[in-house]
Amino acid sequence: MASIELVDLTKHYRQGKTVVRALDGVSLEIGAGEFVSVVGRSGSGKTTMLDLIGLLLRPTSGKVLIDGLDAGQLKGNRRADVRGLRIGFIFQEFNLLPALNVVENVMLPLRYTKSNVKDGRARALELLEAVGLEDRARHRPDELSGGQQQRVAIARALVNRPTVVLGDEPTGSVDTQTSQELVGLMRWLNRAEGVTFVVVTHDLDLAGRTDRMIRLSDGRVVNDEPVRQAA
Amino acid sequence: MEILRNLGRRKLRSSLTILGIVIGIFALTTMGAMSEHFNVLFNFAEEWYSSSIPVGSPDGQAALQPLSKIGEIEKVDGVAAAFPGYSFDMKPGQVTTVSYSIPDTIVAYDPREAPYEAVKTSIAHGRNLTATSRREVVLGTGVANEFKKSVGDGIDLPVRPRDAKLDFVNHPFTVVGVLHPTGTVPDSFAYISVADAQLLFKDVVPAFMRDRVDTTTVAEGITVYGRPGTSLAGLDRIADRINQQVPGVKATRPSDLVSSFRSGGATFTAITTAAAVLALVIGGLSVVNTMIMSVIERYREIGLKKAVGAHTQRVLREYLMEATLIGFLGGAIGYALGVGLTHMINVAGRSSNLELFLVTPKLTAIALAFAVALGALAGLFPAFRAARLDPVLALRTTN
Repeated sequence: MASIELVDLTKHYRQGKTVVRALDGVSLEIGAGEFVSVVGRSGSGKTTMLDLIGLLLRPTSGKVLIDGLDAGQLKGNRRADVRGLRIGFIFQEFNLLPALNVVENVMLPLRYTKSNVKDGRARALELLEAVGLEDRARHRPDELSGGQQQRVAIARALVNRPTVVLGDEPTGSVDTQTSQELVGLMRWLNRAEGVTFVVVTHDLDLAGRTDRMIRLSDGRVVNDEPVRQAA
Repeated sequence: MEILRNLGRRKLRSSLTILGIVIGIFALTTMGAMSEHFNVLFNFAEEWYSSSIPVGSPDGQAALQPLSKIGEIEKVDGVAAAFPGYSFDMKPGQVTTVSYSIPDTIVAYDPREAPYEAVKTSIAHGRNLTATSRREVVLGTGVANEFKKSVGDGIDLPVRPRDAKLDFVNHPFTVVGVLHPTGTVPDSFAYISVADAQLLFKDVVPAFMRDRVDTTTVAEGITVYGRPGTSLAGLDRIADRINQQVPGVKATRPSDLVSSFRSGGATFTAITTAAAVLALVIGGLSVVNTMIMSVIERYREIGLKKAVGAHTQRVLREYLMEATLIGFLGGAIGYALGVGLTHMINVAGRSSNLELFLVTPKLTAIALAFAVALGALAGLFPAFRAARLDPVLALRTTN
């Protein structure tokens, strides 16, 4: 079964009297454990597609199926539950809570999914070890570098053992070397955890290290092909 | 814990907001404690005058009644008993322009009156007066503390003023009992027998009249009791009958006195309410402002929480709890400061039997509940605003 299935997915916005076709009849499948990049110019519909898959937006028409569940039609708290249990998010600006320390930030999604705190803490520490920050568990986010903060955000995205992790320009706020380290980390976690990754990016180095690249233009898929990895 | 850390991150703003509530609740506590003190006095007076009828001289005449009137009054339908009344300044010559408490007073007490009294007092130390008591006094707790007297001590009554003239007269009494504190009128009283009161009464009659008046045959006033269970309206009717049937006296309708005390109590309640409204305006607006700023600053944080699975109600609850905690902290500090100040003033005033404040469990509950409710109420709008945020917009806000 596909991890994500989009069926004739459309999202139109109204800007004054003009209708903006942010996404226009996109249909595609992403298999379980795939690492997919979505590229395209600004305004091509990449982020809208990610927000629709992440159940942050409602489609104008079409379907979003997560693990076979027609999640696009879910309402209110049920949508929030699916987000909390099946989807992890990584943002360009990290979005760590300054009032919480590193391990508390990683455990944040558990707070909203009624998870066992003791198990959750062990899972969070395990992920911090995986991202190389086990010795920073009690530090505040502002005591970490940008790359370290994004690694905390990656650990947070995985703490609930989601089936899908969505990344919105995850390397957009770090330098080239850190970007390569983060891509390597996500790639490794994708394989180690068996989690599907979908990342929206302008970073062609990142896109080139994924399994598959989907190119959008004017809200439509114009190219969708496997990435030939360098030997 | 996260809430406390969030407050700690904006120390100055959080402190100022909490200070707003501290001031409001401090005002509420101090004004409320003063109001409670006066309400206890008014309630005592209300209860007292709901059970007896004061009878004095007709309007415009000196407060002097022949004791023979007692017999006439007791014949009036509905009257169960009548007793002579005498009261004297315990500290004559004291200049008082505005008084915030009951002045120390010597009053006559007849043990036979006890079964009729609606407001009961009880002896904490020693014993009560008896029918044969002479030169014995039972002190209210405030008077006992003021003059540092206990059972067995002597006290001259009335108390001699510092600038007393040569012809000032007082008499030695022995303290035989001290009452339990009541927080109201009896605390300021010194009770002596009717016979001793008549002795003191002779001293207050002007010298040129003293030999012409037999003070054992007159009283300042008469206290009349109805049969047990007589209602206020029933006492009014008895007062009307006394006025119709007994010449030379004026019985005051108890309901007139009760409504007068009630309106006095209402004035102080209005002061408390005004303080509460002040607290509401000052504290409430500062919490609203802080929480709105907090929501605006934390748009992305709210967006993130919703993205990772937080329900709308959960976000609402988190922000409401933060506002409520601000209210509680401000309320607890304001209440503690208010209690501290009122206690200090009461202790300072104890040496002159001037306790102005009474902090009751009701006031405590009101002050703290009000602070918490104020925080929660003021946080409601910002919390709704946070809970209803669109996560997509919130996540892409640049602060």
